[in-house]
Amino acid sequence: MRGIRATLAIAAVELRRFLADRSNIFFVFIFPLILVTVIGASFGDDGPTAKVAIAGGDTELRGDIVEQLTEEQSAQVSFAGADAIREQVARGRTDVGLVIRDEQAEAFADGEDAEVSVLVGAGATSQVAAQSVNAAVAGANARREQIAALSDDGRSEAEISAALDAAQEEVEPATLTVESDDQISEEFAGLAGQFDQGAASQLILFVFIASLTASATLIQARRYGVVGRVLSAPITTTQTIAGQALGRFAIAAFQGLYIIVATTLLFGVEWGSWLLALVVLAFFASVAAGAAMVLGSLVDNEGAAGGLGIGFGLVLGALGGCMYPLEFFGDTLRQVAHVTPHAWAYDAMAEVQRRNATLLDIAPDLAVLAGMALILLVAGAWALRRSMSRAM
Amino acid sequence: MGALLTMTASDLRQRVRDRSVIIFALVVPLALMFVFNLVFGDATDSELQPTTVAISAPADDQLASTFGDVLGQIDDFEVTVEEVSASQARSRAEDGEVDVGLIVPEGFTAAVTSGSEVDVTAVEAEDSGLEGQVVLSIVQSLLQQFNDGAVAASAGLELGLSPAELGQVAQEAATEGPALTLSPGELSEEQLSPTASTVAGQAGLFLLFTVGFGVLGLIAEREQGTYARLQSMPMNPRLIVVAKGLVSFVLGVVATSALLTFGALFFDVGFGSVLVVGVLIVAVVTASTSLMFIVAKLASTAEQAGVAQSILAVSLGLAGGAFFPITGTGLLARVLDLNPIAAFTRGLGISANGGGLADIGAPLLIMVGFAVVMLVVSTVLPDRSAQT
Repeated sequence: MRGIRATLAIAAVELRRFLADRSNIFFVFIFPLILVTVIGASFGDDGPTAKVAIAGGDTELRGDIVEQLTEEQSAQVSFAGADAIREQVARGRTDVGLVIRDEQAEAFADGEDAEVSVLVGAGATSQVAAQSVNAAVAGANARREQIAALSDDGRSEAEISAALDAAQEEVEPATLTVESDDQISEEFAGLAGQFDQGAASQLILFVFIASLTASATLIQARRYGVVGRVLSAPITTTQTIAGQALGRFAIAAFQGLYIIVATTLLFGVEWGSWLLALVVLAFFASVAAGAAMVLGSLVDNEGAAGGLGIGFGLVLGALGGCMYPLEFFGDTLRQVAHVTPHAWAYDAMAEVQRRNATLLDIAPDLAVLAGMALILLVAGAWALRRSMSRAM
Repeated sequence: MGALLTMTASDLRQRVRDRSVIIFALVVPLALMFVFNLVFGDATDSELQPTTVAISAPADDQLASTFGDVLGQIDDFEVTVEEVSASQARSRAEDGEVDVGLIVPEGFTAAVTSGSEVDVTAVEAEDSGLEGQVVLSIVQSLLQQFNDGAVAASAGLELGLSPAELGQVAQEAATEGPALTLSPGELSEEQLSPTASTVAGQAGLFLLFTVGFGVLGLIAEREQGTYARLQSMPMNPRLIVVAKGLVSFVLGVVATSALLTFGALFFDVGFGSVLVVGVLIVAVVTASTSLMFIVAKLASTAEQAGVAQSILAVSLGLAGGAFFPITGTGLLARVLDLNPIAAFTRGLGISANGGGLADIGAPLLIMVGFAVVMLVVSTVLPDRSAQT
């Protein structure tokens, strides 16, 4: 019993030291939420919409094109000066730019030939957006063409317009039904809000990074002889090492818990079953704790450990789907991604969050995470034990 | 001068021996470039790839045959059209053999011209991507044209035109009248390819860590008591600060040049004229180093300095598009533009697309302006680490 108390006491000290370090405030508490906000804002909408910027006064021509773009093509339209648009398109900030000169707008209003200058960016999304713009411009001109085709026998424009309006009501338009065998949207189905996906991936990313960078405190504890002195108390080496491991786990779990609670309260993120989300977090935090033990025992320099921690954290996170969803990876890369614990946690979290998975459904993912945690914790304990006899 | 060089050289030797510089300045950014390139590389290819569409259209149906004709003539990328049966159009798309399967029902032209209900089915393959979207968008706008013709014909009927004239009207509704055309405007590209922008973004982000190893050494020297000893030497005490700045500058220039070179070699991207890129590197390193002088003044311990530096590096790097492009318009875009890392990436974009020294004026001005403002502010700020 006293052994367990000693282990818990060491773990509690580690968590307190982590929380007392003011330098952690930004990266642990603020930065993850900034990223969830930014990612939610840029990727959360229903897929990419064409971004079109238009220069030119508020004329009939501009109005017609904007109406077609926003209503028929569901494009995102903004207005700016011609030079600003040229720059926006050149820098990829907008997909397509349209420049409507006043004299061309007047010609359009007078029923004459008119021309709109179009700027298409180099990216593939710009090529797609250009098709929307083509269709919108054709749509804006459709009524003029219809009137022209009917105005041979000296009928008035008002008369033709009335007939066209009536016909518009009467004619059943030919429609296009798109059957999409789109696996990606199927995989994302079940996500309730625009911040859900970002919150889950940032959770995994930051639990690992926080844990690895906090391994610097393990190095300090070794450098200042804290570990050695603890051993002079009536405590076994096993208890000390267990305490350190539990401390690493507490730090990782704390970071994860904070992100879950904060994103739920601030962004209304839905985590599916709370209990299962916490189970996934616990397994992943164990892996992170093991990795931190290994890093904190093998490296003797806090600066280097911090650099390696951020480096490994970002690299594994990117490969494991925390920066760009795993669902968008190619098949081979997706398999490669599963060398990281992140990818397994990502899959499990996706099951829980999007598909109401049960414990049995995510058991394979948890088993892999448990295996990884076991290997790393054993390796970390062994490395820590060896490091105690090493001069720093 | 001799003292300055001695201090700089001694610091540089120490930094090179300290592995954390190598880790932060080269190893981590290179690893990230490699992984990001792997992860984002195949997903964000900037060119539309050749695509195949399987069309099942009833024989001798005038409008139905238009789909194949129009799709086969797209200029922007290569579209191969296969004429197949309805079941094949579906199965080939479902099996991923073609990107889109298009099924036009029997009696299509008759239904469209008489204004009765008719539906074209498009089956999108699993990974049809942007190319699939382009194809669907073209099909959709063709249908719109047919519908406009049908509406015109129906209105013509209302207005008392003869059935013979109606066909003419339907056709003319797509071609007659005042034209509204799109004319391609001139555009000077300033964008880096996705891969090149990953390389540039990571080089910029980690530069802010690298330059810290020089200037922020001032605080460590104070903590260790070596700063006071240096001040007692028979030389201008300002040289100590200048030497630290020089260390940052040398480390920054070497690391950034190395990262861009490695990036160019490994990932086969180009950044344009060596002279222009060199000027950009000097400018961004100067701007980043100047920021470190502010951190050195405001932080009272090395630990605080490290944290402040990480926060600035990650924030400026993120806002400068090191991880993914940050888009903004209006005032937000202007504010984002003042970031030296963003200006550096933009400058590289201009030079990669063939821009010369004269073309990088705006980003250069931002970086130099940033450096001047930071240096002026840092001379005015009280030194907090000296007070401890």
